[in-house]
Amino acid sequence: MLEMLRQYVSGYVALTKEEFAVVAGRLVIRNFDKKQLLVKAGEVEEYLNFIVKGLARMYFYKNKTEVITNIAREGEIISSSSSFLSGTPSNYYVETLEPSTLLSISRQQLEQAYKESPSIERLGRLMTTHFVLQKEEWELECMRLDTKERFLRFVGNNPELLLRVPQKYLASYLNMKPETFSRLKHLLRKRTPVFR
Amino acid sequence: MPYPASAYKAALDKFYHYLQGYVPLTKHEFHQLEPYFEIREFEKKVKVIHAGEVERYLNVIAWGLVRKYLPVRNREITVQLASEGHIIHSELSFHYRVPSRAVVETIEPSVFLSISYDSLEQLYERFPKVERLGRLMISDLFIKKDNRYFDQLRKTTRERFLEYVKTHPQMLQRVPQKYIASYLNIKPETFSRLKHLMRPKRSRGEVGVKD
Repeated sequence: MLEMLRQYVSGYVALTKEEFAVVAGRLVIRNFDKKQLLVKAGEVEEYLNFIVKGLARMYFYKNKTEVITNIAREGEIISSSSSFLSGTPSNYYVETLEPSTLLSISRQQLEQAYKESPSIERLGRLMTTHFVLQKEEWELECMRLDTKERFLRFVGNNPELLLRVPQKYLASYLNMKPETFSRLKHLLRKRTPVFR
Repeated sequence: MPYPASAYKAALDKFYHYLQGYVPLTKHEFHQLEPYFEIREFEKKVKVIHAGEVERYLNVIAWGLVRKYLPVRNREITVQLASEGHIIHSELSFHYRVPSRAVVETIEPSVFLSISYDSLEQLYERFPKVERLGRLMISDLFIKKDNRYFDQLRKTTRERFLEYVKTHPQMLQRVPQKYIASYLNIKPETFSRLKHLMRPKRSRGEVGVKD
């Protein structure tokens, strides 16, 4: 379990055993059934979660419709990040889609880890930078690409999510109608070269 | 130089206080950081970075007004409007060292305090405190970005308009209307119509917002 996290972290900084232990010693393991809420809108997000096993989504309500803004799986981070970073109430709900195991660190524990080790501070900076850039990339793509291009790019990069995530959720995430999503799926059968 | 040195001193002072909002920083520590920054001056309507170039700098606006936009099929979508004290650059290009898709262009004559990618990396290596400063500034950026993203998705055109003019009254005077409309994802015609929601409060000589 920790090995997965070690690998994830090594993508950002090379930590010594001792430095990694500063983080590892502060983690809690949290298990959830499917369709359990990790955080609700209006609550403050207390944890940053690394998904060891499972799948989760983040969403909010626009009138009565759910709008999905993130889907994360094994080896990825899920959290109502803005609330976690600011300590203010979350705009979003975070919910598991499958039974999930998370390695979680609380805000207070993470602050302590930052104080103990400059390398962890760096890790925090680089991870946060990555989140900002992901957000920027996603926003620019939504402006730049049309519906079909967004669909092809997404399924090209995440083929397995097509099998694991209900289609209506993927459609919501890609900001298209479920009917449009179904229609676009025909493109996949025709061996169209995947848009990159 | 078209600007007196004292003007730069004032800009640096402002920048110092801005950084202090994130971490306690002595004057001495700040002076150690100063040489890593370059002062860059631009006339109005100058492209600071073109699409296809790799962004070399992170820019803090000492003074002036700048926009970032994405060229999409003969249109320009404004994604950021920034004035004094704000940071603007093509961040994906800067961090990933890939050609920029976005364009950064001055609206008014502007002066930047800019730090290059390499200088920033050196700062992080040499000054552990900057690591925390960077983390906190980036966290803040994430929160702002997320709020804007959330507002775009959830709020109505009218709400977005009213909130923006309430929180950025000075931008309305300085930025061409079409750029603000694009930034708020509102059609220029709609934007003009929404302006009727605002009534001048003559007694105070200010523009007020009617809810």
